[in-house]
Amino acid sequence: MDEELNSKPSRLLVLYASQTGNAMDAAERIGREAERGGCPSVQVLSIDHFGASCLPDEKVVIFVVSTTGQGDIPDSMKVFWKSLLQRNLSNQWLEGLHYAVFGLGDSGYQKYNFTAKKLDKRLSDLGAEFLIEKGLGDDQHPSGYEGALDPWLLSLWRRLNIVHPYILPRVSDIMDPSKRSLDQAKFEVLYHFADEIQSKLSTISDLKDTEKVIESALSMSPAQFYYHEKRPEYFLQMITNQRLTEEVDGRDVRHFEFKTTSSLIDYQVGDVLEILPSQNPAAVDAFIQRCNLDPSCYITVIPRESNNQSLGRHSKSLVHPIKLKSFVEYTMDVASASPRRYFFEVMSFYAEAEHEKEKLQYFASPEGRDDLYEYNQKERRSVLEVLEDFPSVQMPFEWLVQLVPPLKTRAFSISSSPSVHPNQVHITVSIVSWTTPFKRQRYGLCSSWLAGLDPCKTNGVYIPALVTQGALRPPPPSVPLILIGPGTGCAPFRAFVEERAMQNLTGSVAPILFFFGCRNQNNDFLYKNFWSSHAHDDGVLSADKGGGFFVAFSRDQPRKVYVQHKMKEESKRIWSLLSAGAAIYIAGSSTKMPADVTSTIEDIIAEESGISKDSAARWLRLLEKAGRFYIEAWS
Amino acid sequence: MAAKCNVLLLTDAVALPLRVVLSALRDVGTEGISEDDVVVITQCKSLGKLPKESASVDVALVAWENAELVGEQWFQEIGRVLKPGGKLLLQVIPSSDTLDKPSSMVERKLLMQGFIEVQSLEMKLLLSIGNVQSITVKAKKASWTTGSSFPLKKATNKVPKIQVDDESDLIDEDSLLTDEDLKKPQLPIIGDCEVGRTRKACKNCTCGRAQSEEKLQKLELTSEQINSPQSACGNCGLGDAFRCSGCPYRGLAPFKLGEKVSLPGNFLAADI
Repeated sequence: MDEELNSKPSRLLVLYASQTGNAMDAAERIGREAERGGCPSVQVLSIDHFGASCLPDEKVVIFVVSTTGQGDIPDSMKVFWKSLLQRNLSNQWLEGLHYAVFGLGDSGYQKYNFTAKKLDKRLSDLGAEFLIEKGLGDDQHPSGYEGALDPWLLSLWRRLNIVHPYILPRVSDIMDPSKRSLDQAKFEVLYHFADEIQSKLSTISDLKDTEKVIESALSMSPAQFYYHEKRPEYFLQMITNQRLTEEVDGRDVRHFEFKTTSSLIDYQVGDVLEILPSQNPAAVDAFIQRCNLDPSCYITVIPRESNNQSLGRHSKSLVHPIKLKSFVEYTMDVASASPRRYFFEVMSFYAEAEHEKEKLQYFASPEGRDDLYEYNQKERRSVLEVLEDFPSVQMPFEWLVQLVPPLKTRAFSISSSPSVHPNQVHITVSIVSWTTPFKRQRYGLCSSWLAGLDPCKTNGVYIPALVTQGALRPPPPSVPLILIGPGTGCAPFRAFVEERAMQNLTGSVAPILFFFGCRNQNNDFLYKNFWSSHAHDDGVLSADKGGGFFVAFSRDQPRKVYVQHKMKEESKRIWSLLSAGAAIYIAGSSTKMPADVTSTIEDIIAEESGISKDSAARWLRLLEKAGRFYIEAWS
Repeated sequence: MAAKCNVLLLTDAVALPLRVVLSALRDVGTEGISEDDVVVITQCKSLGKLPKESASVDVALVAWENAELVGEQWFQEIGRVLKPGGKLLLQVIPSSDTLDKPSSMVERKLLMQGFIEVQSLEMKLLLSIGNVQSITVKAKKASWTTGSSFPLKKATNKVPKIQVDDESDLIDEDSLLTDEDLKKPQLPIIGDCEVGRTRKACKNCTCGRAQSEEKLQKLELTSEQINSPQSACGNCGLGDAFRCSGCPYRGLAPFKLGEKVSLPGNFLAADI
């Protein structure tokens, strides 16, 4: 203990690995509370901005890490994690480091909070000492991860105050509501006079103009600093908007086709199309009016210089002043995403009416946390709705820029093969709608917007989009495939089948077994004719080629039939293809389906080969490492 | 190996010391080859097809000075003469203007041609052209072929070995988890006896929850309440943030008492 006191820690470091922004939000809160507690220097960083080799130089580090997907490490942590897993690191490498881990996860998944659990163990194995036991936030808790974060933070501050009082001198100040003061906004908004703006854009076509405005808006947006969001590369023209499900059924699934106008679209099967949705113009106008903003003035947004920040600079070349309305339209989600707890805390400082101020302070406090969750997160309350419920609040635009959730792209698995449809890209979209606990009807922002677009409109309909690599890697034509894709999960496999059929024309290809599932043969049998055509006449799905196409209609009979049941019926064929080197791909929108199908595969392996289910599970894990087992699940 | 092993040596060089070749074969686990088993083809650049029957070769050892030869045409030929399951060992000198990772390009081309278990490895130079960098890749022809039938496997208590791209310089991260971690997690015990929160009564409710729910059923708004809303508590018009849990106006936007209530005009109403 004495040796540690000799070398006082210079700072508290908070590292977060966030996938959707929750871990980042929690990390920022930890940073704020540390400051309130008198911490002389606290730094909050995304883990991909920190080199693992610098860890031994630190004295106190808090890790806030999410577990994403089916139990995976967030993308931003992959490099750091790999560095930490190196065999040659000694078990004293992190001696002298005090750490604490808080994990964000969902106990509805088998691999619950695996990132936090593995990280905590590895740090300890490398010689670091934990301040307190790891905290595990759970989405299944009535108030989400904050249910676990509140008590965990209290323990952390108390412990830190004892072990390193220099780093955290005043615990009581953190808890004292009277000590709560407003921090400084992280961003500045510069207003430009009309005569400063050269209209150099007047000679370029409308589309180019919009492109430049979007580019500028996204480059200035706070999201650019926190999330490294990629910017749209293409403006795709919608050429087809076709309903695939019958009008009878409540579900509306669409087939969309897009084509490029200028450049070529570069993609492979298995890739993902990310679309930046348009917001409802009426909602954007209502927001601007509610906040007393001038939609037509020109602005630039820049990070505020300060000691505790390391936001970096944005690429100056892409940034030029744009209309305030455009900035709101393209970067601030006003009518769909819900704001976070901190938004309510800052609102409380700007509430004129006493009862509103009280309510907002209550919502931001640990006591009001559950009620906030019920009012805000569970209801998917939008920023506009919150502001309308608290009409006396006048929040300065700087704060709105920082705290209104960023408008995010939505990702869809691509359902076309570029070799079959050059310069086109197709997607399969289920239109999202649901009823909240308060019985309000809500619709998915992107899916509803896409559904309402008319490709035949006079000037054409253009959407900003980019292509990213998905979890499914394209298979070589010689590898036999076992594909499982119920519902919209069939989308990427339409691309796989198209591509392989094309490859079949010029060389030999391995066969495909495809398992599809839907509710009713007559309602939601997506791409029925397409699968049929490839399952006959020597197609890649045909029995003659060694392939197969199997459908489970869950509701066409009293007993529920799912893809797993169809797979069990084909147990022997699946096993023989697997033994001959087949690769397995699972895709779909259900949270439970991938785990259920994986379990079925383990059963099949165990039964056909005679080994135990545990050994089968281990074998599958090896298959995954060898790049022959992929899962793409979305919610 | 008891059976005779047919080896093909293919090179674009003029000559290749057989001794070097045999030791290379031993290095990759092919034992018991005598000089008689090896068919040698040199100066292959001018050849179109290989003078060998299809599926007649167990092991193909290919050594190319000229990287141009790497491609579909030659790989197809080599694939043709190899037996299903036959092995390929390829060594080639990359040309100076290739990209950063020429070995992955070679691997990819092999994969595209239908070879499996493609792996790069370190091996000494077979060609006698002095001190140059070379790429060595080993691969296998798939034992599965179009139209072949599979014998139904009896339970043999064995599974095929999987070749994993072994990152042996990293520990196995699964070893960091305890047995406890691997068990199915317990969902948080939520005190959900309070009626009106998310849990609903079962269809065949016997505990009385269904009856309590019925009592708590949100009162449908009468037209009177819509046209001229009143509020005993004074909070109904303030919006959901201030309303009581049983409020009949819950879910609606804020309104002024006495004025007609506007029913949900959701900005996200689909334009369908």
